[in-house]
Amino acid sequence: MVNRVTREVAFDKSVTSLDSLKRAAYRFIDQCSVEFLPSESSFLCVLRFNPDKSEESATLTIEDFRKEVLDQELRASIKAETEGVRNLILAHAFSKTGLIKDE
Amino acid sequence: MNKFQPLSFYAKQEPIGYQLLPFQFTELNPRKYLLTNLVGEFHTLDKNKLKVFVGHQLESDDLDYINLRAKQFLLDTHNTIAPELLALKVRTRYSRLAEFTGLHIFVVSLRCEHSCPYCQVSRQSEDKRAFDMTPEIAEKSLDLVFRSPSRAIKIEFQGGEPLLNFALIQQIVLSAEARNTTANKTLGFVIATNLALVNHDILAFCKEHHIHISTSLDGPQDLHNKNRPRPGKDSYERVMKGIELVREVLGKDQVSALMTTTKDSLTRVRDIIDEYVRLDFQGIFLRALSPYGFAIKTKSFRSYTVDEWLEFYKEGLNYIIEINKKGIAFQEYYASTVLTKMLTSQDPGFVDLMNPSGIAIAGIVYNYNGAVYASDESRMLAEMGDNTFKLGNVLEHSYEELLTSDALLNPLEESFTLSVPMCSDCAYEPFCGADPVYHYATTRDYVARKPESEFCKRNMAIFKYLIELMESDPSVKNLFSRWANRT
Amino acid sequence: MIQLHGKLKHLSPPSSGRVILSLTTNQDLPTALASQKGLLSDGASSSAFKVVFHKHKPTQLLEGSYHFLLPADLHYLGEGDVVRIDLKDGSFRVLFRKSSGHNSILLTEQCNHYCLMCSQPPKKIDDSWILEEAKELIQLIPQDTVELGFTGGEPTLYGDRFIDLLHLAKAHLPRTAIHILTNGRAFHEIEFARKYAQVKHNDMMVGIPLYSDDPVRHDYVVQSVNAFNETVRGILNLKSLNQRVEIRVVIHQQTVDRLVHLCEFIARNLLFVDHVALMGLEITGFTRANLDELWIDPYEYKDTLSQAVMLLESYDMNVSVYNHQRCLVNDDILRAYRKSISDWKNEYLDDCTNCSKMNECGGLFLSAKQYKHSQYIKAFM
Repeated sequence: MVNRVTREVAFDKSVTSLDSLKRAAYRFIDQCSVEFLPSESSFLCVLRFNPDKSEESATLTIEDFRKEVLDQELRASIKAETEGVRNLILAHAFSKTGLIKDE
Repeated sequence: MNKFQPLSFYAKQEPIGYQLLPFQFTELNPRKYLLTNLVGEFHTLDKNKLKVFVGHQLESDDLDYINLRAKQFLLDTHNTIAPELLALKVRTRYSRLAEFTGLHIFVVSLRCEHSCPYCQVSRQSEDKRAFDMTPEIAEKSLDLVFRSPSRAIKIEFQGGEPLLNFALIQQIVLSAEARNTTANKTLGFVIATNLALVNHDILAFCKEHHIHISTSLDGPQDLHNKNRPRPGKDSYERVMKGIELVREVLGKDQVSALMTTTKDSLTRVRDIIDEYVRLDFQGIFLRALSPYGFAIKTKSFRSYTVDEWLEFYKEGLNYIIEINKKGIAFQEYYASTVLTKMLTSQDPGFVDLMNPSGIAIAGIVYNYNGAVYASDESRMLAEMGDNTFKLGNVLEHSYEELLTSDALLNPLEESFTLSVPMCSDCAYEPFCGADPVYHYATTRDYVARKPESEFCKRNMAIFKYLIELMESDPSVKNLFSRWANRT
Repeated sequence: MIQLHGKLKHLSPPSSGRVILSLTTNQDLPTALASQKGLLSDGASSSAFKVVFHKHKPTQLLEGSYHFLLPADLHYLGEGDVVRIDLKDGSFRVLFRKSSGHNSILLTEQCNHYCLMCSQPPKKIDDSWILEEAKELIQLIPQDTVELGFTGGEPTLYGDRFIDLLHLAKAHLPRTAIHILTNGRAFHEIEFARKYAQVKHNDMMVGIPLYSDDPVRHDYVVQSVNAFNETVRGILNLKSLNQRVEIRVVIHQQTVDRLVHLCEFIARNLLFVDHVALMGLEITGFTRANLDELWIDPYEYKDTLSQAVMLLESYDMNVSVYNHQRCLVNDDILRAYRKSISDWKNEYLDDCTNCSKMNECGGLFLSAKQYKHSQYIKAFM
């Protein structure tokens, strides 16, 4: 059986949500599978890389994964802040008594 | 005379600070993010600045702040009109949805005398008349065509080789025109043919009814003939003769050509483009192979990787830009389609790059046997034995039954980009599309996993490339703006 | 430069009041017509006319009319022209010239903006009499007039009275196109925009300035807070009611750095406007006071201008370039280039008389010739 590189990365629960972790992990689904093991204060992510992945390459990917988690947190903030105005804009765009006269 | 106030007087904010307006961000390159708003207007930002921006720390006299405000990524006391402008643009972008189904493809015959290895329909020999569409099916299909709300209707004849059933083409054209005297749509016709069978009689009819011709030209003679074998090994010669004849009778711009990229094409992109320029075509559509039909059977689909294809594409696009700089107007049509989505609020209506997916919304296919398919690719899939995207049959189902069938509504709903993983947070989403047929053909899932999707990889690379080109060269930006607007 | 106003010498005793008169050279007009008109006299006279304007000092003065001496620089006036004369002090102004393609009626000198480059600096005086006079004037303008402009100041400050004037213009001059210069802010109220649309004129357009895609910059140039928001909303309201809108941009130091960005903003957000006018700076009014902040030699921005024009044209928008000398623009904008300075304002430099393209060129404003113009004006050989 081929040995597959496996790594563990922990994230503090107080600064990272499970949702962000899952979204980030999804982007690497072509390179590894991710298992989430929650504990009291953190999430432990177990990354099992595809057979063709070397140790060095896995280290680089872990870095990218951490950055992607941060990006996902940022996306969550943006979404939370802009949800209201987004719905307003879409409602306006599709309303019948909108900004442009109906043709 | 009153005193004039300085700029700083007008820069004052009351209240201080800004709110974010909806936007997505994704990496453009290692140094920058691409930000896109609800309507695909974009801004590139140094990576280290994004957090500052999202954290409400960006200074109002920073050039990025000013540009982000002008493009409606943020709202402060000075641009309170922004949400209204966004709403107007969103409305324009989606208004095309109500005018669905502009393209109606009639597969008038499956018979063909070529045997191209990448063909997406099975080869059928010239004898089997069982593979021609009947007049009854044609008329029933036309009933459905004229139910479309779209004000412009294009009827495209395909096959096999459609000219093998020219009599039916004539019937359909005449019948459509008769119906149109009351329907009053803008009606257009195209025949997609390999030109081997074209003659004066056929062209006389085309001229009378303003029918456009679309043919296949894979490149210079050796490449074309290798890609597209026929008995006599003279496909290219026939295409040349055909183009000349069509132009003579119908006019220079009444014939267009499409190419397909095979492994042999990969090193020949300049030759292929030169061939199109030599023939005075206005542009070329650099197409990759699709994973359907014969292409899968002969494994030619897997004959090159996405990266190899992207190299081919970039080399081709760069060459075309060079040609334009020398004063020859020549477009790359896939780029033009993407650029329309990037630079305008128009929807080019290209089935593969639409959200919701363009299946049935942009175009629909009436097969020789009356089967109705959500798109041309859906038909290819059926030829391989998979009827997932078959909506019904003109002889058995009504317009309502066809367009509200689960076969259509399920993939439309499930592949909606704003609801699926990764696409829903992707900055390139406004330029991209849901392609449930492709993803289903390759993974048996309408959505598939985008990190593994070649559709995603290919398109994202193209989007990034086009943006980098525009940002680095204002003359390319201007050229692309004309392509985007077809001006 | 054509003289449009002056002070005329009384030849008969002064009276009081201002009158507007249509001019004629026909001394034989029947009294019913003549009593409302001004005669341009070469020597002939008639007591039937309200006012007689003598080109040369007459030997006799007939009673029953007011008589004035017309100075040589006003001898160009002719049949159908409309003038205003103050019967007390002889102040004289040409209000309408039949031979001109660019007649404009000034409706007020009041304005709610204070543009850095304003060519008609606002005055805070009650000049609502001008509107009354405009109503009279409209009724004297010939019906075959192709186009008429309404300017200010800010015409919409009159509110409903302005709308009434438009109705009047439509009634008296149904075949005359109307072009209104306004900052557009009044139209941010949809009710006012609706009243405007109710005029249902078949050839009426507003020209609205927009100086930047950056609201702070725009507000600064027009010297008014919240101008950008209200102006853009005004444009949106007018377009929602299918009214014709032109966007006007004056190019100077405060607008040129974001000119291409502004054109991108227009192409993405205001694609439906009917026309975009890119204009050269006039060195008059406030411009001179703010010259350091405004002046940039057009030669230095000609490539930016090219980019701006090509961008708008790529979006299939109607673009015109006004008030630039032919030698200061690149050939790639020629489709948009207009020979445009109003005929009463245009001048040329000495070197221009040798220029092979002189008749394609709009020339310069007199103010430019006198105060400031490009260092790069050069005849084409």
